[in-house]
Amino acid sequence: MTNGWIDIKNTDMMLIMGGNPAENHPCGFKWPLEAKRNRNAKMIVVDPRYTRTASTADLFLQIRAGADIAFLGGLINYAIDNNRIAKDYLLNYTNAAFVVKEGFKLPEDGLFSGFDPSTVAYDTATWNYEEGGDLSRKSADADPPAQKPGAPAAAPPALPANAAYDLALQHPRCVFQLLKKQYSRYTPEMVERITGIPRDLFLKAADLFTSVRKNGDMTKAATIIYAVGWTQHTFGTQIIRTAAMLQLLLGNVGRAGGGVNALRGHSNIQGATDMAGIFDNLPGYLKVPNPTDSDLTTYLKRTTPTASKPGPWQSFNYWSNTPKFMVSFLMAMYGDAARKQSDFAFHYLPKVDRNYSWTEIWDNMYRGSVKGMFAFGMNGVMIGPDQQKNIDALKKADWLVVGEIYPDETSEFWRAPGTTADDMKKINTTVYRLPCAGFAEKDGSMTNSARWLQWKNAALPPPGEARLDQDILAQILLRVRDLYRKEGGKFPDPILNLTWPYTDPEHPALADVAREINGRALADLTDPATKQSLNAGQQLPGFAWLRDDGTTSCGNWIYSGSWTEAGPQLARRGTEDPSGLGIFPNWAWSWPANRRVLYNRASCDSVGRPWDPERRQVWWNEDAQRWVGNDIPDFKPDSHPKDHMGPFIMNPEGVGRIFVPLAGLADGPFPEHYEPVESPVQNPLHPNQSSSPVVKKFTTAADKFGSPEQGFDVVCTTYRLTEHYHYWTKNNPVNVQLIPEPFIEIPVELADQIGVRGGEKIKVTSARGTYAAKAFVTRRIKPMTIDGKKVYQIGLPIHQGFRGIQEDAERNARTPANVLTPTVYDANAYTPEFKGFLVKVEKA
Amino acid sequence: MSQATLEIRAISGHSGSVPGAGVRREFDVCKLIDTTTCIGCKACEVACLEWNGLSFSETVFNNSYQTMPETQWNYWNLIKFNEHEREDGTLQLLMRKDQCMHCEEPGCLIACPADGAIVQYVNGIVDFQQDHCIGCGYCVTGCPFNIPKFSPTARKVFKCTLCVDRVTQGLEPACIKACPTGCLHFGTKPDMKALAETRAKQLREYSGFENAGVYDPPGVKGTHVIYVLHDASNPELYGGLPKDPHVPWAVSFWKKPLKWIGNIAMIGGLLGVFAHYLRFGPKIEPADEETPRQGGAAPRTGTRDPGGRP
Amino acid sequence: MSATAILANGRVLRYSFHERLVHWLAGFSYVYLLLTGLAFWSPWLFWIAVVLGGPTASRELHPWVGLIFVFATLLMYRMWSRQMHETESDKEFWRALGHYVRNEDELVPSADRFNAGQKLLFWGFLWCGILLLLSGLILWFPHLIPWSLRYLRYIAVIVHPAAALLTIGLFIIHVYMGTAMERGAFGSVIRGDVSTGWAKRYHRVWYEHLLRDAAARK
Repeated sequence: MTNGWIDIKNTDMMLIMGGNPAENHPCGFKWPLEAKRNRNAKMIVVDPRYTRTASTADLFLQIRAGADIAFLGGLINYAIDNNRIAKDYLLNYTNAAFVVKEGFKLPEDGLFSGFDPSTVAYDTATWNYEEGGDLSRKSADADPPAQKPGAPAAAPPALPANAAYDLALQHPRCVFQLLKKQYSRYTPEMVERITGIPRDLFLKAADLFTSVRKNGDMTKAATIIYAVGWTQHTFGTQIIRTAAMLQLLLGNVGRAGGGVNALRGHSNIQGATDMAGIFDNLPGYLKVPNPTDSDLTTYLKRTTPTASKPGPWQSFNYWSNTPKFMVSFLMAMYGDAARKQSDFAFHYLPKVDRNYSWTEIWDNMYRGSVKGMFAFGMNGVMIGPDQQKNIDALKKADWLVVGEIYPDETSEFWRAPGTTADDMKKINTTVYRLPCAGFAEKDGSMTNSARWLQWKNAALPPPGEARLDQDILAQILLRVRDLYRKEGGKFPDPILNLTWPYTDPEHPALADVAREINGRALADLTDPATKQSLNAGQQLPGFAWLRDDGTTSCGNWIYSGSWTEAGPQLARRGTEDPSGLGIFPNWAWSWPANRRVLYNRASCDSVGRPWDPERRQVWWNEDAQRWVGNDIPDFKPDSHPKDHMGPFIMNPEGVGRIFVPLAGLADGPFPEHYEPVESPVQNPLHPNQSSSPVVKKFTTAADKFGSPEQGFDVVCTTYRLTEHYHYWTKNNPVNVQLIPEPFIEIPVELADQIGVRGGEKIKVTSARGTYAAKAFVTRRIKPMTIDGKKVYQIGLPIHQGFRGIQEDAERNARTPANVLTPTVYDANAYTPEFKGFLVKVEKA
Repeated sequence: MSQATLEIRAISGHSGSVPGAGVRREFDVCKLIDTTTCIGCKACEVACLEWNGLSFSETVFNNSYQTMPETQWNYWNLIKFNEHEREDGTLQLLMRKDQCMHCEEPGCLIACPADGAIVQYVNGIVDFQQDHCIGCGYCVTGCPFNIPKFSPTARKVFKCTLCVDRVTQGLEPACIKACPTGCLHFGTKPDMKALAETRAKQLREYSGFENAGVYDPPGVKGTHVIYVLHDASNPELYGGLPKDPHVPWAVSFWKKPLKWIGNIAMIGGLLGVFAHYLRFGPKIEPADEETPRQGGAAPRTGTRDPGGRP
Repeated sequence: MSATAILANGRVLRYSFHERLVHWLAGFSYVYLLLTGLAFWSPWLFWIAVVLGGPTASRELHPWVGLIFVFATLLMYRMWSRQMHETESDKEFWRALGHYVRNEDELVPSADRFNAGQKLLFWGFLWCGILLLLSGLILWFPHLIPWSLRYLRYIAVIVHPAAALLTIGLFIIHVYMGTAMERGAFGSVIRGDVSTGWAKRYHRVWYEHLLRDAAARK
């Protein structure tokens, strides 16, 4: 979330799409309702199903699963056409005025410039800004002096330090004009053809959402709220991008009641991401080294961005501090072994040579190259796409270690439904099942959607033989280290020299770990600006203290400040809210630097006054010559507005990116609507390039895809219910009582067509598998007309599997929903597609 | 809770005085349910189960998110889900938390014959005292909201207590505590009524629900659980919320006129026959002499019925 | 058709043992039903249920005893229904009711085995018994009546006490007449026999019939 849950109460307009917060985030959904109750805010819900969220909306639109970019692109088009945009914001806080390189081509035919069919990837050289200065006066000319196109550069393409720009936004290759051109194709008629939302209804929604910028009013704010209904598509990242662009266009980012807000589906998924839950990240979103990074300097040169902006503007370019973050991280990892002379032990870090995302790991296991797996805190058989492929992969593994609180499907993959006694004999995987502590049995911190680190205490000890995860991991590490010590190995140093400074090494206290993550001074330090000093060994007050000379250590720079000398900031419970904006600065601790709304400089106009005097987050104090406010300014505190420093300090441009240059995204600098890999229609925008050109399809025998011609003509989506939590609560009688059985939601019209009534069994078949459950015949999903074709959508909850109270009692079919889903994933975030695929529906 | 006699305003099946009537100064409590912000998360259902320690019952999917068709003796709080298609073709998913309404004029209490089995506290809460309940089920008949439910095993009737055990300790009911969206409120009746009216006005003025209103049915002299409805003119849409509930006419007739007619008739009957006896006396058994005895005196004892039928 | 006869001792057997047994089966069950029913009828009489073993036991037993009462009533129907048809003299009886009330029995038309009042009692109890049974079954299992059929419960809570009240009226008269008013009648349901004078005065037609029967048997 750019903002936070509570901040939603400050909004005037909500677009909830690709998420169902009323059902999946019921506690947080209080805040959207507060906004409705206290501000008369409007809520628009766009979803393939009329959900419980929709029941509280002012306007509900039923969209075809996977058509989100078309809808949002239509909104962008509407906002530009009707001048419902934040002109000043756009000009000063985004790259709308930047001029894009000659040779860049929009995807009228489905492809941006630079596509290479042989590698199924884009050469992003043309996805860049023009080098140069102010082109405002020259924009009337057909073309400015052209760069020599396609001149092969020895070094990988970089952003120009001095980007060309046109403050009149008239240059044909300025980002704004390209944006306008790109989305001029997303007319209400086109939106209707792709999404199935009738034109009039779309226009109603577009008018409502953009009404916050009616007549140039800048006081109101609109927020966009989403969840995995957007991310779990092959173009998920680009859907979110479209939302971000729309919000930049309307000047909603950085503002109370604005932003682009991802709702996290687990209590600590934000923490997992922050702490490098993804293979290509190190903690704090540092990049994982790759084989070309021969030493730390090379790595830092590759990963530290340089400012790229119009000459007269300034860019804080906060990632220019990457060396400080990285060196401090290495100091935290390897302690005494990390010395300047040893290149801070950079060579201990693994170099990632290719994609090791979740889906790839399971594919590798299926192909036989991954031999074993630790599965902690996740039920791999259930959460990945294409369950059968996952089960078959585990059958080929040598060993599997599962740390769980219940016997789950993963640890019992060998007795999945349909596995015969003979089959079982052929499975040679050794499964170790380790009972682990549940969430109430451990202390530690969780990082919520609002980026708050909140400390919790253990409520009770783990039962029976269950152990804490960190104890299990510590003991594995200590024994492996002993083995390396005794027996040596190819490269024992990273293990032998790993710092393990905990009071009880076999049972590391999470408080110790949290302090280590915050970081400490390794030498006496003095801040040159404030003359404050810090003694060696003291906790760091924040990431501003980080050094790249080995005098600080920090496990995750964005968490620096969470556990200072003043104590655990993440355990604070202050309920003061002086501004009334729900900032609660003394409740827990929000990264970065306890800022509650990211990019909050953008909540002020260019001279530093809040856009809305009623919602004052930060502002420029001329007397103090500083940025001050109710929130911590997410900005260089002493940068005078006249300096024109951009508010988006994490971008090299200093401004929000409407156009994402270079390799920021794998599938295009602007989002383009592509069809899901399995779609009932060909893409009406460009039928010859229907789905994303860069989407990877796996090629094993298990990877099958269906088409309408084969009879797979119903769009299926999967979702969670409020009554259950993923695959755990089917072990809890209360939850089972609330929703005892799996079901499939189908429209009344489809039910009539196949002759079933509510509660009767139906069978859903995809190219990969079959799922049978009772039909939930509802009017909450209506048949749609997509590009002139009648299309049904159905939906099924994902909670039931083959282990649980009802499952063990043989009261349900014991098939999990992911037998149906395809193994394809987003080209940027590697998130698999769970939200839109094709099936056929029959009476069982 | 029945020990707190001074807090009792009305007692079922009770002769004589009510110990708490007019003694204690107490606010009328009220639960406000804003159906327009209910998201059907069922947190209230679970909180009710947990706080009251209710046993589990097996459920079956029945073409709805609704946990079960209606409340049960061991399930006092149930969100009713209703899909409703409006005239303009737009859909509504109406969700209403169903539980005891704690009527100001409780049909259950009126119908109940067992002394002290149902009490109404001075704060308005209507509570069943299972130790006095005789399991007759008249409360089931007396309730206009289909709330009291008979347990075949306990042979007693159970329902929502408005967490009177919590309320008397200054806490809100468990469902209120658990509600994540602020759709449930708890306070004094005047406060809740005012809050509800404000919300209904907001819905009429800003959300386009022209018929939004507050459900506090006068037929039972108001309830201590009130609703804000999108369409107060159509409460039946919300899982059969009665439009104009009142104590069933049969129960009223039975407990008022019929009772008086019956009492008068019974007493009148007794007095009548007594008066008759005083005035006319008995019909003296006529002497036997008129009948010539045939044969000797047969022993009376052991006389067998000759059984001869013609 | 009758189990009655003139006995050797000159008295007249009015009710056979079987009839008396059934009468008292009905009688005692009715009294229990009356008492427990009254306990539930009015809070002022709730103590009766307490005295009779506790209110819960009363609620549990009332319907079972009700079944016994209905059973006894059905036996009575089998025994007596053919003697309970209204006759011309019954109509005269009603016209002469005032005389009967004023104990001017010589002005009352002579009756067969049962006079019009007894027939009223019989049919009244029979029909009220059926109503009580039907409404009682609903009241016995109110929780099995679905909400959509709740009107059945409403009807039952009216019909049950109303029918009971009618029987109470009949019962008061019946008990009064059988014990206090009509001397000799009580003995007829205890010992079974009445004096010939009694038989002649109140049920002359029946008595004469018995005489004819006796003569015919000789």
